[in-house]
Amino acid sequence: MNKDMFKNNKNFSKVSNIIESLTINPSPDSVAVLEEIGTNSSIDEVREMTSRALVKRNEHDSLNVVISNRGKGINDMSTIVAMSTINELLSLENKEEAMKVLESTISSEGFDEEVKENARSVKALMALS
Amino acid sequence: MSAIEKINQLSHRIFNTSVTEQNVARTSNPFAASNFQKNILTEDVFESSKKKEENKISFTGNLTAHSKRVYSTFVGSINDFGSRFYEGIQSLVSLGNKMKEGIVNTWNKIHELGQKEVSLEGAKDILSRDISSFFVNGREREISKMSKMDPISEIKPMFSEALSALEADMVMVA
Repeated sequence: MNKDMFKNNKNFSKVSNIIESLTINPSPDSVAVLEEIGTNSSIDEVREMTSRALVKRNEHDSLNVVISNRGKGINDMSTIVAMSTINELLSLENKEEAMKVLESTISSEGFDEEVKENARSVKALMALS
Repeated sequence: MSAIEKINQLSHRIFNTSVTEQNVARTSNPFAASNFQKNILTEDVFESSKKKEENKISFTGNLTAHSKRVYSTFVGSINDFGSRFYEGIQSLVSLGNKMKEGIVNTWNKIHELGQKEVSLEGAKDILSRDISSFFVNGREREISKMSKMDPISEIKPMFSEALSALEADMVMVA
């Protein structure tokens, strides 16, 4: 199913609207719902939208999901999802929280080296932007 | 007639010019007064200036009825020609005015059509904007409504259901 078919799909529009609503929902539980359902979806487009929504929330917990978790956000196996998440991070007006999460991920001993390397690269990009 | 009488007559002719004054006055011939032995030249051998004047076309004198008719016809034709010429000019002027009006009307029509095109384009833009904004507002209203719901108890089931339906659609397409 290509993007044009997605745009015309009623269920895709519904999923998109739900993700958008969770982006602006003030409840901190929204991050848990996005992480549990959105980031684990088999559909790349849904994972992409979910990662962008988590970055837009610009909260410690939401940014931690897309930066520090293996296979999610910037560490997603899909290049489109990873690059889209990085692009959203670079587009943030206030990058303070994102930089804190990146530094924490890089300096932490509990993460994989691959996750740390990705965090280091994104931090370098954000410092230049 | 004796010689004396002849001399008297000659002298009378020479010195008494009253007899020939009238002839002199009538003619422009400077030699008209001259005569030889009573042979007064009654006919002017030179072209008379008076006759010249008389020969000139005059509308007041010495015109026959036929000539008058001819002249009047000629003058009438001139007058007719003038009126016809005037009418021709008038028709040309009116034609020019009509052409000018036609061009102006055409220009106005084109301008009106152009304005109609612009107004139609504007109407299209407004119409399309209203329709699209209606759907966008509908989507925004739905998102705003869901953003006020509880994520765990309300949104999560909806999210799971919609995602399952989408995945089912993808399987059907594949």
